[in-house]
This record gives sequence, C-alpha cells and structure tokens, in this order.
Amino acid sequence: MFVMDTHTHTCLSPCADLDMHPAGLVAAAICAGLDAVAVCDHNSAENVAAAQRAGLAAGVAVIPGMEITSEEEVHILALLPDAEAALSLQSRIYRELPGRNDERAFGMQVVANEHAEVLGFNERLLAGATTMTVDGVVAAIHKVDGLAIAAHIDRERFGILGQLGIIPAGLPLDALEVSPRTSLSAARTAFTPRLEYPILCGSDAHEPKDVGRAATFMFLEEPTLSEMRQALKGCAGRVILGGGRPMEDLALHILDIAQNSLEAGATLVEIDLSEDVAADRLVIEVRDNGPGMEPEALARATDPFFTTRITRRVGLGLPFLAQAARAAEGKLEIDSQRGKGTRVRATFRHSHIDRAPVGDIETTLLVLLAGNPEVEIRFRHAVGERAFELDARGIDPGAPDGLSALRQTIRQGEATLSGTVGETKLH
Amino acid sequence: MKVTQAAESIGGTIVVAAAEAASREVLGGYASDLLSDVMANSREGDLWVTMQKHVNIVAVAELNGIAGIVMVNGRKPEEAAVAQAEENRIPIICTDLQAFDVAGILYGMGIRGRRPV
Repeated sequence: MFVMDTHTHTCLSPCADLDMHPAGLVAAAICAGLDAVAVCDHNSAENVAAAQRAGLAAGVAVIPGMEITSEEEVHILALLPDAEAALSLQSRIYRELPGRNDERAFGMQVVANEHAEVLGFNERLLAGATTMTVDGVVAAIHKVDGLAIAAHIDRERFGILGQLGIIPAGLPLDALEVSPRTSLSAARTAFTPRLEYPILCGSDAHEPKDVGRAATFMFLEEPTLSEMRQALKGCAGRVILGGGRPMEDLALHILDIAQNSLEAGATLVEIDLSEDVAADRLVIEVRDNGPGMEPEALARATDPFFTTRITRRVGLGLPFLAQAARAAEGKLEIDSQRGKGTRVRATFRHSHIDRAPVGDIETTLLVLLAGNPEVEIRFRHAVGERAFELDARGIDPGAPDGLSALRQTIRQGEATLSGTVGETKLH
Repeated sequence: MKVTQAAESIGGTIVVAAAEAASREVLGGYASDLLSDVMANSREGDLWVTMQKHVNIVAVAELNGIAGIVMVNGRKPEEAAVAQAEENRIPIICTDLQAFDVAGILYGMGIRGRRPV
C-alpha cells in the first residue's frame, strides 16, 4: 500500500511558505508518513524536477503535477506521467495565462533546486486564471496523458461545485479531490452517491505542517501515475482503499504496528480493539509470532528516529502511538521476546477529549488482508458486551470480487457494533 | 417589467430566446459569479447578472426559474451554453457594461434584490 498526498505546493506558489522548497516539501512528507506526494503548484511546474530529485534522494515518490485555474476560476489538478509531460502542459498553460505577478500583493514565486537554493523568480501571474474553460483544461491534461482531478470540491472558492454549482455533464474528470476538512466516507456520501467518480484526499498544503493532513491510501505495485490510473478505475487489483490523515486515526496506528510485525516476518498477527465505555477505557493490542526484538531495540522502540525499516527514514508508528496514548491519559507497553514474538498494547481513556478517533478500520483490515494473503491475520473488535470477530477464511482477496467480499464482511461485522458507542462507526 | 425592457435599458443584446424575453416578467435581481451561491440564494423571476459563461449557467437558471441571464463585460456565452439555453428557452442578454453599472441601472428602474425564500 502507498500513502499519497495528491495535492501539495512548493515555494513557487505565491501563497506558499518559503520553507516549502522542494527538499523541504519532501522532508515534510517523510515526517507525515507519506510514501508519495504530488507537486501541484498554481499554473506552473517549474519546481517539479527539483522535487523529483529531492524525492529520489530521500525515498519519497514525487508525482509531477500542476493546479490549473480555469477561466471559470475552477481549480483542476493535473497529475502527470513525467517531468516532460509537465513541461509540455506548462508551455500550453503559459500561453493562456495573462498578467504579471505583484510580489507585494500575492507573494514571491520562487524557483528553487533540490538543495534549497534559489534559482530565480517566476514573474507570471500564477495566482491568476487562465483563459481556458474547464473543458479545455481537462482536454489539455488528457492530451499529455495526465489525470484531471477537480480540486477541493468541498471548498466553495475555486472548487468546481462552488464555482459551477454542479459538475458539468459529460466533463471527463478522472477523479474528485476533497480537502482535509472532509473525510473520504463523508465525501462519498455527499458528492458521489452513485459512485460517479473516485475520490482522493489531498492536503493542499502550502506550509510544511500541513503536508499529509489528508492523504489517499492506494493499493499499487509502485507509486506511479499509470498505477494510479488503474487504481482510479479499480482494475488489475489496484484500488483506492481509503483516505484520511495518516497517523491520526487509531485505525492507522493499528495498520502501522501490524505492518511492523509483517515486515519482521510474523506469520500470525492478532489485533484486539476493545472499547469499554463503562470502565472508560479503550485498548489496542497487537500480538505477533515474529522474531521479537533485542533488548536494545526494545528500549529504543519509542524513539522517533529509530527504525528497522528500510523503506522510511523515520520510525513513525510506536513513538506516535505512545504520544497519542499519553494525550488521552493512557500508555504504551511493549513486550517482546527474542524468538517468541511481540505484543504492543496501547490504552486510552475512552472519553478523553484528546483521544484520537478509531477511524477507518475497514481500510486497515483490507490493506493487511489483501497485501498479506500468506499471513494469518485475526481481528477482534469489542464494544461493551458485543464483539465482532473477523473470519476471513474462505475469502481470497486476490479473487475478482475478493476485495469487495472482504469489505462487505468487515462492514457488516462493524455494523453490528454501531449504536453501542457513538463514534466507533467508520467516519 | 419584461426582460426585453430590462435588456434595452442596459443596452444589451438578447442573444438567445428573444420571444421568451418579451413575455417574461422580471420580479427581482441577483448578481453573483458563484453558481452554488446562485442556486442557494436567487429566486424565481430574478434577472441574474454574471460573468460566468459556462453551460452550467443554464442548468442553474432552469433550476431556480431565473427570468433571464445578463452576461456582463462584453463576454459571450460558450457555444454549449447557447445551445442549452435555446433548448430550455432561457433568455441570455449580453452587454459591454460591468456588473456594477448593470445592477445600478436596473435598480434605478425599480428592480430589487430579494431575500432568499
């Protein structure tokens, strides 16, 4: 699975922070637990190549992109196959983009390299609108084999619904995007009741702290545009699994811990989520039969700069989970024995105002089950007296309808718990 | 006041549905370029003043029972918008005046904005 923020800006966008130089953006992406970011500056792609180089050095995939303003002042994201396509689209856009930037009014438009050095300033009015209609913008994106995505449709200003009231009939958009203010499941209900378009979650970050505030979780072989295109169509086993804020919801912490277990070579992972409202307690426990940790590794497990992973520079899961537990008057305990396995247990005060929401359990389980068919994964979710124990035996996630059958099983199981606690439902 | 009279007062050209314009009564006015806002706040019988020329203006006008669309600043409706307006019999009036002046002239002739229902 890949976690991708499909909408970020660099310092080239006049409204963006100077710390969002290409390497700064990539560093923020790593801190947010992202595998990939799409760089979508306003009406320009001049920092894309530098961001790609910064990403390559740091192990974060950078998808070239652009956020194009149509004549109707609708923002359309272009996600593009490569830097060449980005430059080709950029030259088309520049021909249709009138005006000169006024730095005092709109801000600086900094072209930078991957070493945080300023190469120059873009003098066009990147904050302005092109003279292309929304249909023309989408056609121009498709001409360079890009994906055309209506940006932040949950925002009135510059969102397609705000500007044009309804999505124009027959406009061949590849997806819609919602901002961090709207969860993916809420967006699906509100905007695509008949699943007309896939929905992505992007942060629209203009400063480092906002990178990854919303992200899309996708099943891909590799984080490339052609894989994304398949995921949007739900073909060849590539799917959009969900979206939200990485490392905020407890469901994503569970995913992260379980993935640690799997990467360590466990063949059995047991996940217990228990909500006891009467005792005002929420407990997450993840047990595995993996190789266990050496005492030294165990002692450092909650140090944010320690990890055994090679895919990410920073070990995110446990330190963040420890912090989340402490914030809700709880704690994190880890027992690990060499050769026997590891048990991670996090407790929270259920009613605590800072207790993170449970979040999208469905996505977490789908990712684990579909991505690791050879591993036995058990899941139990108890709410008071009631409990749901997932029995996924007999469902092959790799089969044509396997993923939707699994989704259905999980959804029905979780639904038997709803009503017992207000918030445990999928958000 | 009929849509035709309003069009004359702002020096506008009726580009679509002249016959409809002659028969439709203007009951009020609304000015906005955010179509979602127009959907939420305009009222039946309003003359709608806008910069937008996208085909969706016709859908919004149809939805709210708009008497006619005034396109300001010398802008021309997209082809698809003309075709759709012909089909739905929604008058479109084009004028070189700006929205501010159009609203001022119409206000002077007694047309008022009205609170949304």
